Amino acid sequence: MRKKISSVILNIVLLLMGVVTVYPFVWMLSSSFKKNNEIMALQQHLLPQLFTVQNYINMNSRFNFMRFFANSLFVTIAITVVVIYTSTICGFVLSKYRFKGREVLFGFILSTMMIPWCVTIIPKYSMIQAFGWIDSYSALIVPAMFSGFGIFMMKQHIATMPDEILEAARIDGANEFSIFHQIVFPMAKNGISSIAIFQFLWAWEDYLWPYLVINTKEKQLLSVGLKMFNGQYSTDYGALFAATAVSIIPVLLIYLFFQRQFIAGIASSAVKG
Amino acid sequence: MKKKLTALALSAALTAGMLAGCGGQNGAEQTAVEVPTEPFGDTIKYDPSVEINNGEPVSLDLWEWGSDDLFQQIIDGYQAIHPNVTINLVNNPWEDYWTKLPLALDGEDGPALFNVHNSYHENLINYMAPLDIPLEDLEADFTGVGAHVIDGKVYYIDYGMMTGTVYYNKAMWEAAGLTEADIPKTWDEMIEVAKKLTIKDGDTLIQAGLNFNDDFHQNYLLGLNYQLGANLFQEDGKTPNVNSPEMQQVMQMLVDMYEKDGIGSKDFGEKGSDSFGQGQSAMVVQWGHYYNTLKTTWTDIDFGVFEIPTFDGETPYAYNRYNGESTFGINKNAPADQQAVAQDFVKYFLANDDAQIAFNLAMSIFPAKKSLADNEEILANPSLAVLAEHIDRYIWPGPMPATVETSLKKAGQDVFFNGVDIQTALDEAQANIIKDMENSTFTSVENLYAYASEKKA
Repeated sequence: MRKKISSVILNIVLLLMGVVTVYPFVWMLSSSFKKNNEIMALQQHLLPQLFTVQNYINMNSRFNFMRFFANSLFVTIAITVVVIYTSTICGFVLSKYRFKGREVLFGFILSTMMIPWCVTIIPKYSMIQAFGWIDSYSALIVPAMFSGFGIFMMKQHIATMPDEILEAARIDGANEFSIFHQIVFPMAKNGISSIAIFQFLWAWEDYLWPYLVINTKEKQLLSVGLKMFNGQYSTDYGALFAATAVSIIPVLLIYLFFQRQFIAGIASSAVKG
Repeated sequence: MKKKLTALALSAALTAGMLAGCGGQNGAEQTAVEVPTEPFGDTIKYDPSVEINNGEPVSLDLWEWGSDDLFQQIIDGYQAIHPNVTINLVNNPWEDYWTKLPLALDGEDGPALFNVHNSYHENLINYMAPLDIPLEDLEADFTGVGAHVIDGKVYYIDYGMMTGTVYYNKAMWEAAGLTEADIPKTWDEMIEVAKKLTIKDGDTLIQAGLNFNDDFHQNYLLGLNYQLGANLFQEDGKTPNVNSPEMQQVMQMLVDMYEKDGIGSKDFGEKGSDSFGQGQSAMVVQWGHYYNTLKTTWTDIDFGVFEIPTFDGETPYAYNRYNGESTFGINKNAPADQQAVAQDFVKYFLANDDAQIAFNLAMSIFPAKKSLADNEEILANPSLAVLAEHIDRYIWPGPMPATVETSLKKAGQDVFFNGVDIQTALDEAQANIIKDMENSTFTSVENLYAYASEKKA
């Protein structure tokens, strides 16, 4: 009986927390169908009093939504694919090979996660400027090729794979390259799914760096476009909410497809190998 | 199956959203651009027959924040005269523009032309090339040029002046039995009118007669001191004067308005501007940009505008502070051919009355171009029309560091919310501004104001 009451209380608390978490999103979605004066009105209603799709039609008023969306998709997918590969291969090396300085190297990788990004942004910008990469996607993709978090996650995940499988492959004549691509990589799909979701989300929503290094309007990303709705004196909330609502759909789709592996990946990466 | 259906629904929503987003980019219809053939302008003349860059193709960037349509319009006009020039418009978000622009100007990838706001003067001035237009020509056509002269050179000027006016809700005005004849000329009259506009249910405020929440520092404290004859900076142009008896008088008036006269409350609406738009407050003092906010966001409010009152109804030392909207900056590190086009483009902008009118109306600012002071289109905007008679009695202190505003905001908050007495709060603001401005190169240009000799303190 006591267990049942605890369970009910826990569920109520979780439900309340869920509502608190989800409500702003629902409000934003609903407000994307309101006019600006209703969004800013003193008397707030969750559902639009005057339903309008004009905000969705007006999304292009400040930038070419379709173009920015495609640019974001390309850059995000490119970064995600590269990070998945580099994280997995680095994670494999760090978890399955014993060599001098391995722990120091891993510590160094971990330390990169602890430096605030705002500290590195100026030197990074200067480097990109020196390389002549300003206004090119190299400036977005190359610095993002290696992820400290991704390497950490994959090292933890691959460490849970039995060494015997790798030994058996070696005995069968597989070289290290084949072992990684044909055995480790497929077996790491849960961890890869987690990294894919995280990395996709981070790259998709990254704003300041793309804004700083991309100048040409046609190359700009969606996250930057969304910021255009914030004016000097006012914000076009309706259009901003509409554009944001559409822009999060790819992230939701990614999560939907990788959901099961994501949870399994997170769980296994949390276990020390 | 369920997952597939959800994915399908999301994909459909995505497609629908993107298709909606595809429609009518910028919504602007292409209109034929009239190409002038004769020189135009007042003292600054632009001759469209003069070739630029020897007719050779040249391309440059113009970075701005704000309305693409507005900037594209002037670019189209210029490119119609000079088809060999391509000006790429790059729109930026306001906030982070000021992070990106100095970084870009510091290297070789900066734009040849960029939009300037004088609040970022110190961050930009070292990257700017002086204008090629003679100083006397600029002074002949535009007001306030003298305040922009640095060692005999001018890097940018104001094309318009933004300042505060009083916005009132016409429906509330009528409901209170007020007419046009009741428009106040003095602050005492304003308080009396505000009392009539205030509605209370017992002690609970239902409708504020006047609301200055969140912006009292910008719209009152940094402006009404001039009505009492006091500058914001002392004689040296560097030491602030924000704990003066005049500033105390202004702050005391604000406190009395809420606490003694009861025409509003510090707790009634977080922002006065929003409260007015929400139909909760009858009057607000706001700067020109608010006219556009009312026209775009608060479309249900029927509003009128009148000039800010004075303390005695007489012509004051200055009615209020104004801030200039700046002309484009020219990147001194840009290639020579791009700089030449940029100089020519600025000249075209200054000589072109249509562009001046369009830019001033877009921002609801009073034109700095002298010949446009009585322009019909300008005066059709009520927030500009009320300024026309006394526009020469508005003063610009110069591109003040942000600490002046933020310190006075804190002082006001301390008085209203923390029970700090006015003198102590203003003394703290004074000390804080002095400390923050230790390394600033700012010098006030209040001494260049046309009626500077009438200053009392």
